[in-house]
Amino acid sequence: MRAVFTAALAAFLVTAWSAEAQVPAPPQSGTIAVTGATIHPMSGPEIQNGTIVFENGVITAIGANVQVPAGARTIDASGKYIYPGLIDSNSSVGLSEIGGIDVMIDLNEFGNVNPNMRAQVAFHPESRHIGTTRAAGILTVVLTPSGGLIPGMTAALTLDGWSWDQMTISDRTGMLMNWPGAGNENQYDNALREIRALIEEARAYERQYRANNGQLRDTDPRLEAMIPVIRGEVPIIVSANEVRQMQDAITWAEEEGFDIILLGGRDADLIADHLARTQTPVLLTSVQGAPARGWSPYDQSFTTPLVLHEAGVRWGISGGSSAPYANRLPWEAGTAVAYGLPLDEAMRAVTLYPAQFLGIDDRVGSLEVGKDATFLITTGNPLEYRTQIEQSFVQGRELDMMNAHREFYERYSEKLRQMPPGTAGGGGR
Amino acid sequence: MKRTIPILLGLLFLLPEVVWAQTVPNVGLRDNPVTVHALTGARVIASPGNVVENATIVIRDGVIEAMGTNVAPPAEARVWDVEGLTVYPGFIDAHSNVGMGNPRTGDTNRGPAYWNPQVQAFMDAGLEYSHSEETAQALREQGFGAVMSVPQLGIFRGTTAAVSLGAGPNARRILQPGIAQSVSFSRSNALGGGYPNSGMGIYALMRQTLLDTDWYQRARAVYEANPQGLERPERNRALEALQTVAAGEMPVLFETGNEDQLLWAFELIEEFGLNPWFRGSGNEYRVLHALNGFDHPLILPINFPNQPNLGNNPEGSIGASLSQLRHWYLAPENPARLHAVGIRFALTTDGINNKSNFFPNVRRAVERGLDADVALAALTTVPAELMGIDQTHGTVAVGKVANLVVTDGDLFRSSATIRDVWVDGRRYEINRPSTLDPRGEWVVQAPGQPIEGRLNLTGSRTSPSGTLRVGEQDVRLSSVSVRPESRRVRMSMQGASVGMDGVIRLSGTLSGDNLHGWGELPDGTLINWSAERVQAFGGADGNNGGNARPAAPRVAAALDIPDIYPPIDYGIESPPEQPEHVLVRNATVWTMGPQGIMENADLLVREGRVVEVGQNLSAPSGATVIDATGKHVTPGLIDAHLHAGSGGGINEGGNAIVPEVRIGDVLTANNAWMYRQLAGGLTTAHLMHGSANPIGGQNQHMKMRWGRLASEQKLEGAPRTVKFALGENVFRNTNRYPNTRQGVEQIIRDHFNAAREYEAQWAAWEQNQQGIPPRRDLRLEALVDILNGDILVQSHSYRQDEILMLLRLAEEFDLQIKAFHHGVEAYRVAPELRDHGAGAVVWSDWSSFKVEAYNASLYNARLLHEAGVVTSLHSDNSEIAARMNWEAAKMVRAGMDEEDALALVTINTAILLGIDDQVGSLEPGKDADFVIWNGHPLSQFTHAEQTWIDGTPYFTLERHRELERRVADERARLVQFILNGS
Repeated sequence: MRAVFTAALAAFLVTAWSAEAQVPAPPQSGTIAVTGATIHPMSGPEIQNGTIVFENGVITAIGANVQVPAGARTIDASGKYIYPGLIDSNSSVGLSEIGGIDVMIDLNEFGNVNPNMRAQVAFHPESRHIGTTRAAGILTVVLTPSGGLIPGMTAALTLDGWSWDQMTISDRTGMLMNWPGAGNENQYDNALREIRALIEEARAYERQYRANNGQLRDTDPRLEAMIPVIRGEVPIIVSANEVRQMQDAITWAEEEGFDIILLGGRDADLIADHLARTQTPVLLTSVQGAPARGWSPYDQSFTTPLVLHEAGVRWGISGGSSAPYANRLPWEAGTAVAYGLPLDEAMRAVTLYPAQFLGIDDRVGSLEVGKDATFLITTGNPLEYRTQIEQSFVQGRELDMMNAHREFYERYSEKLRQMPPGTAGGGGR
Repeated sequence: MKRTIPILLGLLFLLPEVVWAQTVPNVGLRDNPVTVHALTGARVIASPGNVVENATIVIRDGVIEAMGTNVAPPAEARVWDVEGLTVYPGFIDAHSNVGMGNPRTGDTNRGPAYWNPQVQAFMDAGLEYSHSEETAQALREQGFGAVMSVPQLGIFRGTTAAVSLGAGPNARRILQPGIAQSVSFSRSNALGGGYPNSGMGIYALMRQTLLDTDWYQRARAVYEANPQGLERPERNRALEALQTVAAGEMPVLFETGNEDQLLWAFELIEEFGLNPWFRGSGNEYRVLHALNGFDHPLILPINFPNQPNLGNNPEGSIGASLSQLRHWYLAPENPARLHAVGIRFALTTDGINNKSNFFPNVRRAVERGLDADVALAALTTVPAELMGIDQTHGTVAVGKVANLVVTDGDLFRSSATIRDVWVDGRRYEINRPSTLDPRGEWVVQAPGQPIEGRLNLTGSRTSPSGTLRVGEQDVRLSSVSVRPESRRVRMSMQGASVGMDGVIRLSGTLSGDNLHGWGELPDGTLINWSAERVQAFGGADGNNGGNARPAAPRVAAALDIPDIYPPIDYGIESPPEQPEHVLVRNATVWTMGPQGIMENADLLVREGRVVEVGQNLSAPSGATVIDATGKHVTPGLIDAHLHAGSGGGINEGGNAIVPEVRIGDVLTANNAWMYRQLAGGLTTAHLMHGSANPIGGQNQHMKMRWGRLASEQKLEGAPRTVKFALGENVFRNTNRYPNTRQGVEQIIRDHFNAAREYEAQWAAWEQNQQGIPPRRDLRLEALVDILNGDILVQSHSYRQDEILMLLRLAEEFDLQIKAFHHGVEAYRVAPELRDHGAGAVVWSDWSSFKVEAYNASLYNARLLHEAGVVTSLHSDNSEIAARMNWEAAKMVRAGMDEEDALALVTINTAILLGIDDQVGSLEPGKDADFVIWNGHPLSQFTHAEQTWIDGTPYFTLERHRELERRVADERARLVQFILNGS
């Protein structure tokens, strides 16, 4: 680890600050076993003094009584903890660099209906925010564009690699849809008519596509992109916060036969029974947010996860789609614990549950044989501030733990060493 | 009772204006209408509570000549029989825009004007008056005969005038000019943009203008006594106009937009010894507890809020806040509540756009407890006295001007109609009773036509309904309309049942009991018909048929809605009480002082201050004892950078350098965030001016004393601080110097120099006090205080270069910068900050929201701390201010020691705000501001259970749950009240 760090620092000094501080790790070579840790696989109970073995990036064994294969490199993690990498299922990391600078933000395409947008193709692998997001234990992000009725198709990426095609683990985690605002009933009705008309058109297009074995004289990029959605192969991620929006989206999806995942869910506590009855997944985006309304108790958002948990709702927690603040995801989840949610549930809300909702649980979100070796070695629970994340692995690759913020710290600690007290006074005009 | 018809045009205006003139020469034939009138048989409400039955009022040449029961009308009088009617004194609106609706804007600054165009003190409503008959008529229709006309533009708006709403040239309308100087807490964009453009800037301009008024008087006096050898002081008509204000002779009429502005004015009044009047806001009931002993003239609007829109579904009503519902419900009680605590007021139509809503609102106020006589006084005697026209106006009495309101009933307790309004002895017909009544049984004759039969008209006089019986067939009339002035009645019906397919339309003129009609049959035949009334209508008047019905019984004050403060969701009935002694037992106490972190420790508090932290302390008798076993206690958290809580804006962007403006002048307690922050353990906040200016305004230290007035939330004894700002925000405005970081340095430097020169000028004058005294300049005074260290500099900053610039510039002036806020790149100049002695107040993790924020580091605070810079964390965000312990905890993740991390939001913050002698740690003698946490204060899994300020439990989770229930219950009751058709 130390060697990697030094190499990264050297790289930084020669490449200047425009590049990401950390260097992507090489593919896993040979078998690695991490031993002696308390493992929280998320899919099952905690494993004391456990061992996790992985090869070619995939977990081959995990448990308390696992034999370390001969020839395996062993990392002693006694006294440490192992958790799957956290998942931010609502992220703009790599798509947005500096707020207020339009040309550094690739989120919002022209037009209202853009299901053919493929978020991952604009992912900037040298974004500074990748490193700081990783430092918070987030190793997988789901890229969510924004704007219009259908901003685009979301994609799941790991946060280590040289380019987006290496990093993409799913290019069809869901088609994003911004459910229209219900404030004005007439406008709302019109917007809903438009949605239904669009889906009818897309169904007709899919039938035509099927009838012609995919050989159309005139193709339509938008409708073509919706074919997997129409066929039920890709869920729809519906961004909705208000009671009416959420309830109406659920009914719409039932009518159309679509799988949806609600994203936002500010009022989810008010319709918890409905969400539970229909088993509609909800990804909450602002557990630390302000109370929804003036009369709401100060802790309304903080306690919404507990309300959903107790009602038997399928729910998870995502970030707020802000690239520089993606590293706040653990604190959002931890806030729910401060207000009564069991800690294990908070952890699953940012690992296993979103992975299940978004169909990437075969790779990430829990630690099981056959899944990616994408995990954290820590001094404690990663939702806790006082915990340090000592080493992260993505697909068995041992990550460079450097990031731009740390880099700056090292660099200016050097300045501090060079300028002891009394030497930094005014030197003239 | 008879139906009345509103008269849309004042009939008198058929006559030329010259009729009412005194000095205008007559051209052509003269008009001389009768000027002697007698109203007979009236019920006269001569003044509030003084009723004369069956009286005659004699008017001669506009003045009441006689009034009483035994008065005989003079032979030459035109007699008006008003038997059965009620006569009130003409009403007076003490705050009106009549004659001021079309003010001059472009050329008001001709001549020796004040430098700021918002100061229009020289405006004189008596001179500027420009009559608008439309506006005057709208008021007359509500019974008003005189108003106080108030200039409408600027901050110092000019002097008001009493004006008659009668006829004649302007020269005859002005009753009394120069009554009061109108002052507003709003600026007028019509007078141009620029400084001031915020409430706090407006307040500062008020102070500066009044100081200039004083200087002007002294400078002119010195100069005029002996001008030789003296620099000539300016002449200034605004400052001249304000001389009587400064002397306390001319009242200052503050136009307040909300209850906070009323409270803001008190300090200004005291500072300058003003004689205040107020145009209220209608919200006064919300701060009644702050108006003890209030005895200033108050002119009260009654533009009550609209009923909150609850939609027609539960989704719609969840949007209505309790504060919105409460205000809607309680605002109509404002006048009654003010009267109940002995505050006198006049009522005004000001703020009501459609003046015909005025009396309905007066009646609502009466239904909600306002005594009707008090309401009448508020429209007559009180404003007359206030405006100094009580010799001539305000009552019906011999010798007074003949301003009268003739109504068909009790205007205050019923929906009576105003018939006539008399102004200066002239009658304006407002509503004429309709004499036309088409109702009854009619025999219709139309030989040979299918409409012969009996017509029966019922319902209301002006909009009846009816049937026509032809043979055995009853045909319902599909429409009936009545035109009272032309005496026409129109009807239509379907002809099918009388054998004609199509619509039959009939029209006729009504003369006594005869209708003479004609009409059109479906086939186009035009017919004649007539009808004779054989039986009068015997039913009761319908909905539109009568007047002066008793008001519908309302569920007046049916709800028990307690008074709370602040008057918003989670406001409380009274602030919590401070126990004499408090003992918190057996906690882990983070003293943040020399005692460090103490396990199993007790905290003893007496009268709001820490006595001791130690083990096994004994509880004084009667002490409040809290068992905190397993819990942690820390000092109350402090946030050095917040904005919510200002009621007058946070940026005075009109000028680049504005240290004269003060957040503390314009506070509001109506700040929902304060409660949420308190619940998160925040006890002290530093409310800051925004970042639009290289040198912004002065900030305000606050304690989160929820439930108290904003003035009681100020942290007493805190030093003054000022906001500086560097970087993008201050040069983004390309129409203003500076436009670069270089320019920022120069404008600060230039103002520092100006301040030193100003100080020297004063010092020189103080030597012998000869000649023209220097002018007090609040901006330069504040800059002098900054340079002398009496106002601490708190500077917004991002980049290392600009931080270094301000350090070096300050060093040239022997000034120490107290702290740099935000300081996204502060870690890059940590050694320089350390050697200068400046502190850093930074974000835990804010980054990349603009270019200058890109080089953020999560290790910023850690590196600064390691360098020996006193470092704090701030939020600059209302939401984050509610969890400052977690902001500190992020620094533990970044590698800081836990106690050092908590210092970032407690003692270090106190040091950088200059209040560490009072707050920030739990040490003997310091304020007992502390938080009880259910676990480790830097754990993500911990929350605050109790927040104490001054040894007083301002937040406890237990009480919060009660409050939560109360909010829900009160909302539910108000929503039901509306749904049940209040």
